[in-house]
Amino acid sequence: MDDSAAEHSSPLRILIADDSDSDRLILKTLLKRLGHEVLDVANGLDAVSLFQREAPDLVLLDALMPIMDGMEAARQIKVLAGERLVPLIFLTSLSEAGALARCLEAGGDDFLGKPYNRIIIEAKIKAFNRMRLMHQTLSDQRDLIRERNRQLTEEQEIAKRVFDNVAHSGCLDAASIRYHASPQSIFNGDVLFASPRPAGGMLIFMGDFTGHGLPAAIGAMPVAEIFYGMTNKGFNGEDVLREINQKLKRILPTGMFCCGAMIEADFKLNQIQIWNGGLPDGWLIRPSGEHLALPSRHLPLGILSPDQFNADFERVGAAPGDRVLMMTDGFLESADSEGNVFGEQGVTGTLDQLEAHDHPFDAMMAAVHRFTGNFEDGDDLTLCCLEMMDEAGLAPLPDRASPSALAGPAEWRCTYEIRERTLGEFSPLPLLLHICMEVPGLRRKSGEIYTLLAELYNNALEHGVLELPSDWKHSPEGFGRYYAERNRRLANVEGHYIRITLHHSLKPDGGRLRVVCEDSGQGFDFRNHPSVASGISPPKGGRYAGRGLLLLKRLAETIRFHEQGNHVEIVYDWQFARTAEDRDD
Amino acid sequence: MPIQTRRDDDGQTLVISIEGRFDFSTHQAFRDAYEHGDPAVRNYIVDLSDTTYLDSSALGMLLLLRDYAGGDSARIVIENCNNDVRRILSISNFEQLFNIR
Amino acid sequence: MTDKPHLDEEALAELRDVMEDEFEVLIQTYLADSRDRIRALREALEAEDSDAFAKTAHSFKGSCINIGAPRLGEICLKAEMAGKESRLGDAPDLLNDIDQEFAQVIHGLDGLMAR
Repeated sequence: MDDSAAEHSSPLRILIADDSDSDRLILKTLLKRLGHEVLDVANGLDAVSLFQREAPDLVLLDALMPIMDGMEAARQIKVLAGERLVPLIFLTSLSEAGALARCLEAGGDDFLGKPYNRIIIEAKIKAFNRMRLMHQTLSDQRDLIRERNRQLTEEQEIAKRVFDNVAHSGCLDAASIRYHASPQSIFNGDVLFASPRPAGGMLIFMGDFTGHGLPAAIGAMPVAEIFYGMTNKGFNGEDVLREINQKLKRILPTGMFCCGAMIEADFKLNQIQIWNGGLPDGWLIRPSGEHLALPSRHLPLGILSPDQFNADFERVGAAPGDRVLMMTDGFLESADSEGNVFGEQGVTGTLDQLEAHDHPFDAMMAAVHRFTGNFEDGDDLTLCCLEMMDEAGLAPLPDRASPSALAGPAEWRCTYEIRERTLGEFSPLPLLLHICMEVPGLRRKSGEIYTLLAELYNNALEHGVLELPSDWKHSPEGFGRYYAERNRRLANVEGHYIRITLHHSLKPDGGRLRVVCEDSGQGFDFRNHPSVASGISPPKGGRYAGRGLLLLKRLAETIRFHEQGNHVEIVYDWQFARTAEDRDD
Repeated sequence: MPIQTRRDDDGQTLVISIEGRFDFSTHQAFRDAYEHGDPAVRNYIVDLSDTTYLDSSALGMLLLLRDYAGGDSARIVIENCNNDVRRILSISNFEQLFNIR
Repeated sequence: MTDKPHLDEEALAELRDVMEDEFEVLIQTYLADSRDRIRALREALEAEDSDAFAKTAHSFKGSCINIGAPRLGEICLKAEMAGKESRLGDAPDLLNDIDQEFAQVIHGLDGLMAR
């Protein structure tokens, strides 16, 4: 607001109180000529009641008046004005300092002597008006700030609640996971997600968004959706990571990113795959206390475009009893009262001192709390520890949803064929699983269906098309060799294909899914294959590692080979839900 | 002044030095150092000799500079880092985006 | 004691300028107000109320100063002091002085308005 313009343009409403009729007339006329609106009274009592009614901007009061004098009127008027600054000027021909001081004490801001001087009156009114306006502006701004602040605090609290529902979720309560996340009061932008995979194993994602507060936390929402949505459908860590990076690259402004790590644990193969982009070293800790660093090898998420993004995971063998520890840098930055930080030395020091029966999670939490000397305040720690378990020891995924009363597709068939270079670039499994999940009766069997499809497809790809010997996978050195060779051969798949056909029909007591998998490979002599024939011991080399075949046999109703063995047909039956007693496992 | 600039190489290189903590508080000054710059500037050097500390917002600022300077075709060198600063840059693998010496 | 003029010509000219058409109204108001004040002074004296005497004299002084009747204003000041100091014995003489000076002021103002 332009104060000088306001001074000249807007007329004030001025209240004058003086018991002398002529003096009052002079002053009133003077003020009106300056353009102001004037209300005049002859005594203090009338001054107070008129003030209350008309709320003038400025008050001119004679000090001595009958009924109620100026001092008392001034006191009452100041009280009525409250927080508003209403300048109050005493009209007086009093001269002793004592009397003047009493006027100021009563609430007077200034004096105007008699005879009234036009110029002095104008100057004082202008000066006080400026002061009045400034005061008003300050008050208004203060009120505005107060209100906005209150709103922001409220919004932040709601956002925090939403964030907390998203940020630490999934199967973090599984027996194999121990974790610590910072308390409700800290809005530090760290996230921790965990989800079992349909075919077994687990995916864990730990993230640390740049910045703090709301902007840091906003990225959590889409990442959570991607992580859980894709993992449930059977996508692997690499696919999920690519999608997360692409999403963040798109939605985060340049300069914001997410340091993160993804762990894909495979309890069947006893290995973990890890991708670390910007988080401090993760650790693989053997029961003996021996520990292996899992350092950050990639740029954080949200920086590189999809074609530049590197989703290569590191593979490490990890047996039951081994533990994987991950933390965000809030851990390393925890400080003691002197400002020293826990740092990498704090972490490696703790690991070096681990004894055989110590749990690394507990040891690390205790060490950092001892170091910082406090417990709850300023806790900005995110730590997660996954323990490798035996696959058999894991409880199977509970039946997620009871069969829906809604009818789904009952009689249908679909064929999906992947050819040539798409064989290496795209997994059809999530899509095929999704199609099967349209059948209500199959929904609670998603784990088994996924396993079936995955076994068929992977066998067709690795042993059928690529002709990789399966026994390489069973030794630690063979691992690396196997996957290197796999990648090499995937580059030369012209003319090859894999075709999967799904048929579904209803039966009196449920339904039947028939899966046919054909590939362009050489096939194998299934008539003489020991597993196919007797189904007992796993053979060496060749197509179909025995374990895979046994698994298929266990899950499916029947399994049949055709042509040269590169055509497999599986029948899977499902039943309408029975009562809890008759249901097996 | 926490941020100083000078020109080298016949004006083709802009050298930006950061003294003390390179964090959120240096955000505006850092941007002012290179934005609205002379189009003759082709190379950038970020001199961290006197930088004691670097945090994730500083990493973000470096990304903004890189974006301004042409993204993948930007020519930026980050030099004279102390051990702590070097370590932070290496955990985030920023040598994949910047020439660090 | 320097003698102040009966009327302050300059002050009256300013007032005429400010009041414009209302100048006469102002003068009449002043004269009416003044008569009331003088009467009030006599009543206070009779009641031997020095406080009321002082207060009334004070107010009267103010309006005289504003209107531009400095000598009358000065006499009112003396009356105010007398009232404050409870010297009501001095009051009758002062009241006479006030009456006389007031007559002078009326005469002077009439002359002004005739112009």
